[in-house]
Amino acid sequence: MSILVNKETRVVISGGPAGTSAAKRMAEFCHLSRIPYNVAAFVFPPDAGKTVEIPFGSELLSVPVFKTIADATKEFPEINVSLIYIGPNRAYAGTMEALAEPNIKLVSMITEGVPEKDAKKLRIEAEKRGKTFNGPSSIGIVSAGESRLGVIGGSFDNLVLCKLHRQGSFGVITKSGGLSNEIMWICSQFADGITTAIGIGGDTYPGSDFATYLEMFEKDPQTKAVVMVGEMGGDLEELAAAWYAKSPRRIKLIAVVSGYCQEQLPKGMKFGHAGAKEGLHGEGSARSKAEALRAAGATVPATFGGLGPAIKKAYEEILAKGEVTPIDDEAHAPRHLPKPIEEAIKDGDVFAEPLLKTTICDDRGEEPLYSGYPASELINKGYQIPHVIGLLWDKRLITPVEAEIIKRIVILSADHGPCVSGALVTIIAACAGIQMAQAVAAGMIMIGPRFGGAVTGAGEWFSYAVKNKMTVDEFLAYMKENVGPVPGIGHRVKSVRNPDKRVKELVSYVKSTGIPTPHLDFALAVEERTTAKKDTLILNVDGTMAAILVDLSFPVESLNGFFILSRTIGLIGHWIDQNRQGSRLVRLFKHLANYTTGKRREVPPLDS
Amino acid sequence: MAKVLEGPGMGLLSKWGMAVPHYVVITDAAQLDSLAQANPWLRECKLVVKAHEAIGGRMKLGLVKVGLDLAAARNAAGEMIGKVVSEVSISQVIISEMVEHDAEYYVAVKSTRSGAELLLASMGGIEVEANWEKVQKLEIPLDSDPDLTQVETLAKKAGFTGELAKKVAAFAIKLFQCYDHEDGTYLEINPLVVRSSNGELTALDAVTMVDGDARFRHPDWNFNFASEFGRPYSDNEKAIMEIDSRVKGSVKFIEIPGGDTALLPAGGGASVYYSDAVLAMGGTLANYSEYSGDPPDWAVEALTEKVCSLKGIKRIIVGGAIANFTNVKKTFSGIINGFRKAKAEGKLEGVEIWVRRGGPFEKEGLAAMKALEDEGFNIHVFDRYTPLTDIVDYAIKGVKA
Repeated sequence: MSILVNKETRVVISGGPAGTSAAKRMAEFCHLSRIPYNVAAFVFPPDAGKTVEIPFGSELLSVPVFKTIADATKEFPEINVSLIYIGPNRAYAGTMEALAEPNIKLVSMITEGVPEKDAKKLRIEAEKRGKTFNGPSSIGIVSAGESRLGVIGGSFDNLVLCKLHRQGSFGVITKSGGLSNEIMWICSQFADGITTAIGIGGDTYPGSDFATYLEMFEKDPQTKAVVMVGEMGGDLEELAAAWYAKSPRRIKLIAVVSGYCQEQLPKGMKFGHAGAKEGLHGEGSARSKAEALRAAGATVPATFGGLGPAIKKAYEEILAKGEVTPIDDEAHAPRHLPKPIEEAIKDGDVFAEPLLKTTICDDRGEEPLYSGYPASELINKGYQIPHVIGLLWDKRLITPVEAEIIKRIVILSADHGPCVSGALVTIIAACAGIQMAQAVAAGMIMIGPRFGGAVTGAGEWFSYAVKNKMTVDEFLAYMKENVGPVPGIGHRVKSVRNPDKRVKELVSYVKSTGIPTPHLDFALAVEERTTAKKDTLILNVDGTMAAILVDLSFPVESLNGFFILSRTIGLIGHWIDQNRQGSRLVRLFKHLANYTTGKRREVPPLDS
Repeated sequence: MAKVLEGPGMGLLSKWGMAVPHYVVITDAAQLDSLAQANPWLRECKLVVKAHEAIGGRMKLGLVKVGLDLAAARNAAGEMIGKVVSEVSISQVIISEMVEHDAEYYVAVKSTRSGAELLLASMGGIEVEANWEKVQKLEIPLDSDPDLTQVETLAKKAGFTGELAKKVAAFAIKLFQCYDHEDGTYLEINPLVVRSSNGELTALDAVTMVDGDARFRHPDWNFNFASEFGRPYSDNEKAIMEIDSRVKGSVKFIEIPGGDTALLPAGGGASVYYSDAVLAMGGTLANYSEYSGDPPDWAVEALTEKVCSLKGIKRIIVGGAIANFTNVKKTFSGIINGFRKAKAEGKLEGVEIWVRRGGPFEKEGLAAMKALEDEGFNIHVFDRYTPLTDIVDYAIKGVKA
């Protein structure tokens, strides 16, 4: 048994992300207590019609989001509690909406900073309708093993430590949220745990007060004693004392009040809660409250530290009277919360076979490591883009000479005007209003055996030849028989008489560095032989790059990458250029197409 | 509750049709020269000059001067502005006319659980405190307006007669309107006077408290709230208030010069129990602080630095209950950074640190705190198995568990 919330409680949560995170905590509690999930719906107009996914044990539940509470209760008539997680300027309207729902009997509000006047009006409205308004600034309500509203009780581990998955004998009412948790912990250590714990919030005029809940606890046979944590300011503790003194009560009352410090501190000082403030004429002091409670017959330890022993004594008394029997906690073994897979791996609890493997870049730390080197350190030590290419494409820190060669390759291949396949397609796409990524990708699709994509092929065959110590004649014969034209040899417009300046430039620079260049030498020897046959069968820029890069020991698989990377610079440039010009859609002139389609003829009927 | 200083307070009363003395608020005595051109009363009336700051006992501190002419008022204002009183520099002065009056009364509206209470007395000033039982009270339920005849009856019970009873009742209703529409929590006019020159009821002095949480629906509140404990906020306090106003959760800090025990507790409820425990053990408080609602670690770090800067402290109590959702590891990392900075600046010399906490990621948070021992901090760390305020006993009595 319990008060306010129980196994039949079904909740609608009004509010966005804060409400969602509370709903997750509530799911943890339900899982622990082996009860169905108690959140039926959310109300959050921006997300109306969507669902929120809530982990529940090892499942994922979809909770629908509605625009209004009325929409939610229409779909889920079993909703009987509303939890308010919306900002202080809209909390009033949200609560009025909830109070107007016939089936909703309890509205609990976590929102802090709600104007006093709004809170007063809401309390009066709730009273008028015979309902309970709890809060503002309430951490929530929990009935052990039965239902949890809000984040009261904290993390899963704490729920277990406080034995909140099964009923005890102590009721708890506090203004402070943090202290509600502390008292539940004390009750589980010094006694048999709690029935229901309620945070009423520390505002000046809370919707429901201690006395209201004491009356409810009095009627709950499972609750044998109530622990109440008050503080200076207002008169709710005095009202509780008056209730306790009014007639003989079944429940024991144990209370503490804070704020003795007010006697030695400057008058008018503000404490943590809005309501924690003595009146202008000294009314509502901690001392007067404690005295009123003591006079009413409550146990009031002098300090918070006295609570544990007082609770222990009360428990021993009810045990001695036979009102309760000790709980066999073996019979209530708590359930564990399934861990997220990452955590379970970290703790060594499970083995998960990876789906893929990477050997170049580790992003699990605070910054990526390129082949083990932190990106920031590379920057700070003056490394350049070619070094990063070396690390990510060949997993090694290249030498300064290699870096310079790669830089030159990139510069020379960056662009080749608007008319080549790649740039032309990118430009046409840009003119058609296509976005950058797609337009550049379209240009890149052109890279292949006839345009820019012969680097890998050339590298593959030059290295095959060098590795097998072939002569140029053997190589050309082999190629003719098994492969076809030699990749990297031949150009559409360039020739011996009209040489490719880029090739000359690269070859002469690489030669000037003095590095060994067996592949380049071989490629040039091949060119000498092929150009003797035909003027245009020169070593083209793809073949040159390929031979040099193989000399630098870059893997054959990476070679086309140098052209793709370089030319991307140009393709992006063309896209930006067309956009800046505001170019319009282009289409081919008809005179540039050779129509050989046959004459117009009649379409035969479909049936025949 | 939030206190509104005299100038803006008078502005609110005047907005709701109550007569108030002429006044101006200045930040430089020279402003009076041009103001006197525009406001004849400054030249024609006897004047009162007061420091426009939330300082208690201004009269005794010489921060109120009465019966001055314009020249004397300009001098008095010049002397007050920039003067440092109990470590606070006075930045504003309010100059108002001395209202010649015949009688003094008392009227107030106070927020109650069920609505409001109207208080009325046919005496004013210190007479009211001395004769509190003669103050007449009327309950006004929420969402209802007091009825004129009802208030008139109250005025008559308070000893007002004839035309005056009617006028006082009408004035009291205006005060209630002001309270109701401005989200007031406590409005007190003492004394309410009858101006000799024209018989008009005038609010000579007032206490204006409004609900700070209602600021969102009062775009015309162009004033800051003043402190309520007899001195203006210090720069350190203002710095933390500024952070508090723009973070999730909250950080709070009030300095109490001369104390030996600094507090850095979590939670609005637990922080007061820690304050009580310090005093119960015979310690003296150097501050009131609190962080709650899972504030960002940098905000807690800033708060920690202020706490470490408190002069003459022997110990810092980093207490807290078992948090519901405040991440102990993250908030503690803010505190740890604050401690490290303070230590690097040579603070915390001979200061003991006592820690007790629970909540999400408590193991990690407490372990990180405990590791400060290796950095030479004098730190004692306890977990949830040590009752909430026992660390205060250990810290002050010098007993270790």
